[in-house]
Amino acid sequence: MTAIELRGVTKEFADVTAVRGLDLTVESGEVYGFLGPNGAGKSTTIDMVLDLVRPTEGTVRVLGQDATADGVAIRQRTGVLPDGFAVYDRLTGRQHVAFAVRSKDAADDPDALLDRVGLLDDADRTAGGYSKGMRQRLALAMALAGDPDLLILDEPSSGLDPAGAKEMREIVRAEADRGATVFFSSHLLEQVEAVCDRVGILRDGELVAEDSVEGLREAVGGEETLEIAVGDDAEAVDEGTAAVRALDGVSRVDRDGDALVVSCADDAKTRVIAALEDAGVAVADFHTREASLEDLFLAYTEGETPAPSADDASEDGDADADTAGDEDGEDNDAISDDADTEEVSR
Amino acid sequence: MTLAPIAKKDFQDAVRSRGMLALVALFSLLVAAFAVVVRPTGQGTEQFATELLLQFFVGRFLVTPLVPLVGIVVGYNAISGERESGSLKLLLSLPHSRADVVFGKVIGRGAALSLAVFTGFLLPGLVLFALEQTGALAAFNVGSFLGYTVFAAVLGVVFVAISVGFSAAASTQRRALIGSVGIYVLFVLLWSAVTGQFLNAASGVIDPLPVSQQQVSVFLQAANPTSGVELLSSAFLGGQLLAGETLNQQISAVSMLVFWTIAPPLVGLWTFDAADL
Repeated sequence: MTAIELRGVTKEFADVTAVRGLDLTVESGEVYGFLGPNGAGKSTTIDMVLDLVRPTEGTVRVLGQDATADGVAIRQRTGVLPDGFAVYDRLTGRQHVAFAVRSKDAADDPDALLDRVGLLDDADRTAGGYSKGMRQRLALAMALAGDPDLLILDEPSSGLDPAGAKEMREIVRAEADRGATVFFSSHLLEQVEAVCDRVGILRDGELVAEDSVEGLREAVGGEETLEIAVGDDAEAVDEGTAAVRALDGVSRVDRDGDALVVSCADDAKTRVIAALEDAGVAVADFHTREASLEDLFLAYTEGETPAPSADDASEDGDADADTAGDEDGEDNDAISDDADTEEVSR
Repeated sequence: MTLAPIAKKDFQDAVRSRGMLALVALFSLLVAAFAVVVRPTGQGTEQFATELLLQFFVGRFLVTPLVPLVGIVVGYNAISGERESGSLKLLLSLPHSRADVVFGKVIGRGAALSLAVFTGFLLPGLVLFALEQTGALAAFNVGSFLGYTVFAAVLGVVFVAISVGFSAAASTQRRALIGSVGIYVLFVLLWSAVTGQFLNAASGVIDPLPVSQQQVSVFLQAANPTSGVELLSSAFLGGQLLAGETLNQQISAVSMLVFWTIAPPLVGLWTFDAADL
């Protein structure tokens, strides 16, 4: 049973082709992360799944039914947190959720749903006075009405503070544990990495990669980056650098002030440290850094082709991460621009 | 079918609309003022004081121009406004068909407008009742008064339906407003001028047909919802509703009111259903 199935889907608007030849399959029960920079076609794809927009070519099937012909039946079993939505300013939070419950002919208690998203205390206020994060929670409560088989969350953590984003992840996990399929789009990689079984990366309307988070990491190269704090004995460091360069499994060595940055295979780490110590370098401290999803994302969405090795991506990761976040103009603070860092002290 | 939840939601939303409340308050004050100022006191008219007031003053100068305007204010942003703001995404992510959205909104907003019209007639009703008690007005006919509010509400609902139709068809609120105001200008302000021109220009076409100028003119009067409602309400106030000499005209007027309530939303839905949102 597939939850979402797109076959050869193309969507042309008057001035732009938003999605081209997209094949996408989301299996029932999985948590699927739909990644891509803004403008890649994520929202258009979701709009086609929800029958807000009709494909120019191809077929869209959701929960085994045709997205356009059976839209109402599909949405009866689907909960949606749309992107760029607005609330009814004059209606209260409770009225919103009660409306969703009635619309789905569900039996939920609106207050229980509001409590679940942490909005019960504000249930009697009109939604016009809600902050962006509260509106996001409100729409999530509406999406959860009727225990949907499929949850579609479009940029679910936009407007949420870190605590809110964490609660959002917990709700996604709880829904997945209940057996719901979760399809969520994001440019926030931290979110995807933490909860997704599988990730698809969309770029210019085409799916450029689809795999588990680990699988993607492998594809971009299983290398790690070592940052080694070395002393100021220039002669020993030069000698040690040469010795490390000569090692098997080391692809790149750079000097960065008092540190050496070494890209190497996972099993070469100890030999790198040993070679440095043999050359008389005082190794004060070192960190290893795994290629973060941020790096992978950049490799897939900005590079000409997916980078064959992680070298460039992981070294530039931190600097580029900020740029990627700025494209959206918000939520920068929520982006994890720390690579996975494990500290080893000696 | 999810008409009921949408109708209820839109009713709750529309009754809190400041624009509608302001217009209804204005309307209510004006009707009350008319009741005080122009209460008919002439000889022989005492028996029909309520009817005269409603038909010749309140109807002509307040209901006909103002109630359709309230209807447009309530209706024009029903769908285009949600489309522009983005709340339509929230609405259509729930299991509603687009037809349910259009007709649910006609029902919900029509009900909100009806409530507003009844509320708007409450203050003038109290004023008239007080005038009767103090002897300033010879007779206050409660039945006529309440009955008349029904016709006023019907007129408003027709304009809600027309402007919801524009709202469904238009991609922006501005276009929906322009279309709705255009219909208002045509039906409320220009109808007799336009149809007069039409009758003159078309006399060459009409003459060979087995209908008279007079019959076409009567049909055109019934075709306009404002004159249709005037026709029916004056028949009601004269005790001749769906009876008497104008029976055929009244039936035409009723049919046309039904037509104007259903056709514009259907045409709007036809466009809305095919649109990428």
